[in-house]
Parts: sequence; structure tokens; C-alpha cells
Amino acid sequence: MRPPANLIVGSTLVALVLGTAALSLVWSPHDATRIVVAMKFQPPSWTHPLGTDQLGRDVVSQLMVGARNSMAIALIAVLLGGSIGTALGLLAAAAGGWIEEAVMRLADFSFAFPALLFAIMLAAVFGPSLTNAVIAIAFINIPVFARVARASAAQVWTRGYVLAAQSAGRGRLAITQDHVIPNVLAPVTVQLTIEFAVGILAEAALSFLGLGVQPPTPSWGRMLSDAQTLLYLAPQLAIWPGLCIMVAVLGFNLLGDGLRDVGDPMLRRRR
Amino acid sequence: MTLLILRRFIGFILTLLAISAAVFFVMNVLPGDPAMVILGIDSTDDARAALREQLGLNAPVIWRYFQWLGDAVQGDFGTSYSFRVPVAGLIAERLPMTLALAGLATGLTVVLALVLGVYAATHHGRAGDWAVMAFSQLGIAIPAFWLSMLLVILFAVTLRWLPPGGFPGWDDPVAALRALILPATALALVQSAVLARVTRSAMLEVMRQTYVRTATATGLSPARVMWRHALPNALVPIVTIIGMQVANLVTGTIVIENVFYLPGLGRLVFQAISNRDLITVQAMVTLFAAIVVTANFIVDLAYLWIDPRLRSRQ
Amino acid sequence: MLAVSGLSVTFDAGQALRDASMTLARGERLGIAGESGSGKTLLGLSLLGMAPEAASVTGSVVFDGQHVVGAAERDLRALRGQRIAMVFQEPLSALNPLRRIGDLIAEPLRLHRGMGRAAAMDRAAALLDEVGLPDPVSRLRQFPHEMSGGQRQRVTIALALACDPDLLIADEPTTALDVQVAALILALLRDLSERRRMALILISHDLRAIARVTDRLAIMYGGDLVEQGPTAQVLGMPRHPYTRGLIAARPILSATRDRSAPLPTIPGTVPALSALPPGCRFAGRCPVELPHCRTTRPTGNPACHREGA
Repeated sequence: MRPPANLIVGSTLVALVLGTAALSLVWSPHDATRIVVAMKFQPPSWTHPLGTDQLGRDVVSQLMVGARNSMAIALIAVLLGGSIGTALGLLAAAAGGWIEEAVMRLADFSFAFPALLFAIMLAAVFGPSLTNAVIAIAFINIPVFARVARASAAQVWTRGYVLAAQSAGRGRLAITQDHVIPNVLAPVTVQLTIEFAVGILAEAALSFLGLGVQPPTPSWGRMLSDAQTLLYLAPQLAIWPGLCIMVAVLGFNLLGDGLRDVGDPMLRRRR
Repeated sequence: MTLLILRRFIGFILTLLAISAAVFFVMNVLPGDPAMVILGIDSTDDARAALREQLGLNAPVIWRYFQWLGDAVQGDFGTSYSFRVPVAGLIAERLPMTLALAGLATGLTVVLALVLGVYAATHHGRAGDWAVMAFSQLGIAIPAFWLSMLLVILFAVTLRWLPPGGFPGWDDPVAALRALILPATALALVQSAVLARVTRSAMLEVMRQTYVRTATATGLSPARVMWRHALPNALVPIVTIIGMQVANLVTGTIVIENVFYLPGLGRLVFQAISNRDLITVQAMVTLFAAIVVTANFIVDLAYLWIDPRLRSRQ
Repeated sequence: MLAVSGLSVTFDAGQALRDASMTLARGERLGIAGESGSGKTLLGLSLLGMAPEAASVTGSVVFDGQHVVGAAERDLRALRGQRIAMVFQEPLSALNPLRRIGDLIAEPLRLHRGMGRAAAMDRAAALLDEVGLPDPVSRLRQFPHEMSGGQRQRVTIALALACDPDLLIADEPTTALDVQVAALILALLRDLSERRRMALILISHDLRAIARVTDRLAIMYGGDLVEQGPTAQVLGMPRHPYTRGLIAARPILSATRDRSAPLPTIPGTVPALSALPPGCRFAGRCPVELPHCRTTRPTGNPACHREGA
């Protein structure tokens, strides 16, 4: 069975981006933070395939290290928020009653706070920093995963074999481990890829606004923020980081869509 | 139905209260000593003590919360520490700008999304459909602030048709509009990507329903069937997504105002952050969150208006 | 009034309706019977030019001198609702749930007849009365979900009658209703046809319903029209093997019938759209099949190599 197009394209793009990020850990054409003012605004050449920026730093190297930073932040934040959220969702479904109601209300309530607002609050109080950005992004993932996990888990709890296990005396924790988690894994994984995409966008926006990655650490968002002041001088500097963000987000989105299509053949027909 | 609305309204008020409490907690309790935050680490103990006295920070937290809440409900959000003027005044100054931008962007979004979505649904499986889906995928992946820069490079730097940023004031409406076009378009393109997709799938779902056939069999034109019978039924999921998008709209407006140097609420909040102006930030974050919640409440009410079937249910 | 000749509807997957031919006189009542997938709904839709976009329609349908197949959309719109009307199966979704009944019926009146709102509402109330809805004026402001299934079906009929069509096509109008209500709806349809001298095509898989309402009957199988004739004759003396099997399979409530004997059935299943044989489509299930049945298409009435006229 041939995998759907978006799965193929998505995984290729994701592999490309993750591969570049991983590569940057061991090698990059130049030191991304090395400032050589004399070499500023160089056009593309063999030594600098995409040229240099306003401080003579190599653009390609910055993009590579930026990839690593963006990926790492998005990954950590989403995994953090995702695990807490999923745990809450599973708890809600297993406990039912007022606990479930309370958790869901809390989740609904959290939707009023987009990541940016939360990051703004943290930045005002603690000063802008990378940690704050990670916390903010993690925070908004909690209700998303709580909802997804609870919805899936709640379905499993109504199934016949679970009722059978319960009447046989199996505890709720055991049932969750044995039956609920395997069934919840698929939708949560799909959601993870989609939230990675959202996380990358969020991190880029936060860094762009100065609320995330702080100088001199390279980041796609920060590169765009620098480029913004130079739009008349060097418009080309604005193109590459944005393109990278778009490719990464597109890749994860397509991957998530592809995974969802593969997991649920019924959905595939409806597109 | 009145009972239903009442219940929703009470829920709405409770949520607003919860938001105010949450924001207050984060900004007053978490940092430990707000005076330290405002004045910085190098400040003297005396200076901080004096500030605490001045801002009434020595009172118990709960008391301070209700004090603040009571004042806020009456329109008094405190005095900005950095600007030395009432926060309410600052907000009132910048609000028209932000509303204009958000309003224009939303208008463009809805028009674009509905047209594209209906078009894609009526040309399902053909080139037009694929084109709209491709546009949608790109629109979702593109950061709004980058799109803004690209638009500026094209229309301001290269073609010089529109200004790259700033706002000339409301006296000259044409100039004001010109300053708003690029920002609103950038926001609208990104927002409409998701909405167009939802419109398309909602329309496809609706078009399979028998009442669409009935309408056609009665001799109505395809346009009439689409816009007066199909689309209204597709509105429920569409409106749901619009509600969910409000949070994105608030975020987007804040970001775009900073990209285009527009003197609205988005710029204000960032100035406040740089100045460690906790009071202003607190008021503004509460306001933004309240806007999101209010929009969702309005969406809930809109459901009842759109779909008569929901009016009698619990 | 209506002449169908060589009507075929083909999808990518296969030919769902093959070379159908029939006629209908003014005021006549025709039944089209068959199981799901026999092409009967497609036949009905094609009379209005409403076959799905993905289908290619060939042949001819002439209604009162006007060609339907290949006609321009504008001409078709003049036909629909005003000369030919169609009523669909009613699983709650045949009426727009967001609009009040009065508005729904008034719409074609205002568009096609140019009536003002008040006049259209009056006429709508009259129509609701004609289809047997008690208290029609208060119904005008009701929504579809506030009515029962039978009431909604009456509303769809009223909607169809709005512009006094010459032909009403009813596609499985009673399938979603319970037996008593179904009987009332069928009686209503017959009544309306007689009173208005309006032709009626009743599409159904329920032979008893067809027997009650129609004068002539056409049996369809696998996209082919296999037998046509006066209703009583087709049901009483069926000549096509499929028709015979269909009639024999009807459960009969009778004190004298042997209850212990199994209900006769036709072995096998209807072939899928993509697997339709080039010859007689009943081949493979027919108890009196001849060797060339599968490959050569039978014509005539009944369409059968063995029994054919």
C-alpha cells in the first residue's frame, strides 16, 4: 500500500531539518557567532554559500545552529507540555466524575491564554529569557494534549473489554497501562507532530519579539528580527530564516496529516 | 432558551474572574517581590521599601486582588509606573488603532476564507480545489511576521506603493488606510488559510445532504442553493473555528503591530515590558485574555442564533 | 407527455443505468421498482437533469417537447419545480433545518411565480392544508425538527406541489416512515395525482406500495429495465425471471401458508458496478439461464432471452 503523498513529503522535510540540526552539533561551515565586521553583507560565494549578515557572520552557519536551537526548544517544550497534558487527560478519563469535569474546565480556561500572552507575563516579571519561552510554549500544550488524551481514553473506557477487566477487579491504573495507553498512543503521536509545528512557529515569534532566545545565540526568529531593521539595505537576509521556518513547519504539518491518514483510512476518503 | 443564555453568561463571568485571578497571581505572587522587579537588582532596600509602601504591596495578597479587581471593574487599572499616567488612559489612546487593524484583518479573512472555501468545495477534485488546499497548507506554515516582511520588501522597498510601517494618524483617512493595508493583509492571509480549509470541508459535508438536492429540485439556481441553503448550514463549524482563531488574532495583532511600528496596544505592551511596568502589563494581559474569552462567549451565543435546533436543548 | 429513450448513465466505475426506455402519459401513475443499486434513483434524477456531476448521461429524455439530456442549465431550472418536481427519502435531512417551513415553501413561489411574501405565505398554508397537515397556519413558523417524520414528508410534498408541476417523482417517500404513516402518505400521493391530474412516478423497493398507488410498473435490476406493463399484470403474471423471484420472495401473511417452509430467496447478490456483465445482468442468479445470456444483452419486454417477446 503506497503511503500518502503528504507522509512522504512531510517526513522528507522533517528529516532534512532534523538532520541539519543534528549536523550542526558537530560541524558547520563557519562559527555561527564569529563576528568579522569587515566581511559584512557579502553576496553568496563558495566560502559563504548564502553570504554574510550585517556583522559578517556566515548565514548558512547561523541557519544551521538556528535550526538546532529552534528544534530543541520546540521539542523540549512540546514534550514537557505534552507529557503533563497527556497524564492529566488520562487521569481525567480514568477518574471520571468531578475530577474529569475539573480538568476539562481548566483546559478550556487555559485556551484563553495563548503562548504569547503567557510569555509576555513571564517576561515582564522575570525578564525575557529562553527558559520563559520554553515554559510558555509548554504551558499552552498542556490543555491541548489533555483534551486529546482524554477524548481518546474516554472512548476506550466505554469498550467492552475494559468493562470486563473492571468487573474482574483490575485496578484503574492497571487498565490504563494495559488498554488505554496503547490506544491513546496514535492520536497523541499525531498531535505531537502537529504541536511541534506550532511550537516552532511560537518559538520563532517569541524570539522575533525578543522574548525567547537572547543574543548572541542564533535563532531563526532572531535572525528575522535583525533583518527587519535592514529591509532596505539587505532584503535578502530576511528571506532565508523565514523560508527555513516555513519548511520546518510545513514538514511537521504534512507529517502529522500523513500519520493521521495512515492511522484512519476512513478519514482518507473524506478529503 | 433564556435559561441557556443565562447559564452561559454566568459561566462567562466566572471565567473572566478566573482570568483576572490567574493574571494577578502570576504577576504579583510568583515574582516574590514586585518592587524588586520594578526597580531592579541594584536598587536599595530603602527604595524598594518605599515603593512597596507607595504601591500598597504590603497588604495581604487577597485584599490587594479584590482592591485591584474592584477598581478595574470601574475602569481604573492603576497608574502606569513608567508613563506616570493612568493605564486606562493609555489603553484608550491605543485601542482604536488595534481595533482598526484587527477589524480590517478579520473582515478580509472572513471574505477571503468563505470565497476560497466555497470555490474549493464547488470545484472539488479539480485544479481549483488543489490550488486552494495548497494555499491553505502554505498559509498555515508561514509565520505572519515573515510574510509581513516579504510584503514590505515587495510593496514598500521595491515598488514603493505603500509605506513600510508607522501610522500617520487618523486625520487623513486615505493615508491611514494605506498604512493599514499591508499589516491587515499579512494577518488576513495567514488567518484565512485555516478558515478556508474548514469552510471547504464543512461545505463538502453539507453539499452531500439531501436538502441541497431538494433545493436544486425546486428549480433554484446553483448560486442560490450554495449561498442560501448550503453555506448557512456549514456555518456552525466555521464559526467554531473563528472563535478559536480569536486567540491567534490577538497574538497576531500584537506581533504585527511591532513589525509595522503601529501605535496600538501591541506596541504598548512591549514598551511596558522593557520598562518593567508590571501594572500596565497586568492590565493589558487581563484585557487581552478577556477579549479572547468574550469572543468565545459571543460565538456560543451565535450558535443559538444560527442553528434553531440548539435552542431547545440543554 | 414524457418519453425516455435509450437513457444511459455511466460513471468511471461502470454503467449504472443502461439503455432505459419508457413513456408516461399525462396524469398516469408509474411505479419503478428495484433493489438498491438497480439504478432507479438515477433514472428519477436524470428526468430532472440532476444526475451527479461525475456521471456521463446519454440517450434522450423528452418532456412535453423539451429535451432534458444535454439541455442548458437555465432551461433545466425552468423545468425543475415548475413542470417536474421530486420528493426524496426523508431521514430528517430533506428539509433545510435552519429555515422555517413557510419560508421554504414560499421560496419557489416567490422566485418562479413572482409572488409577494404575504401571498406566498397564504399559498403555502393552502398547500400544507392540501397535503393533510392540520392547523397549517401555525406550521408556517415551525422548523423541520419540530415535526414528526410523517409531517415532514407531507411538507416535502407540499414544497414539490408549490408551482403545480405536471409530474411528481417520489423517490422512496415512505422508506423512513413507519407502516401506518407510510400508508397515509401513499394514499395522499394517489389522491393528489388524481385530483390535480398530475402524473406520478413512484420509485420504491416496496412492491405493495407500488401496487396500491400505480397503474403501470417497471422493474429494474442492475441498471436494466427488465420488465414493464400494467401493475396488476406484472405483479400477477410476472414473466421475467427476476420479477418472478421478487414476487415469490415476498412474505405473505396468511393463515394457510406453510410457516415452517423457508422464505424463497434469489441466490447470489447484485453484481458490483465495476463487475457488471455485458449481457443480461441477472445472469449468474437466474434459474432458467441460457448459455448466451451472460454475453448478449436481451432487449424487448420482458428483457429476457428465454421469455422475451
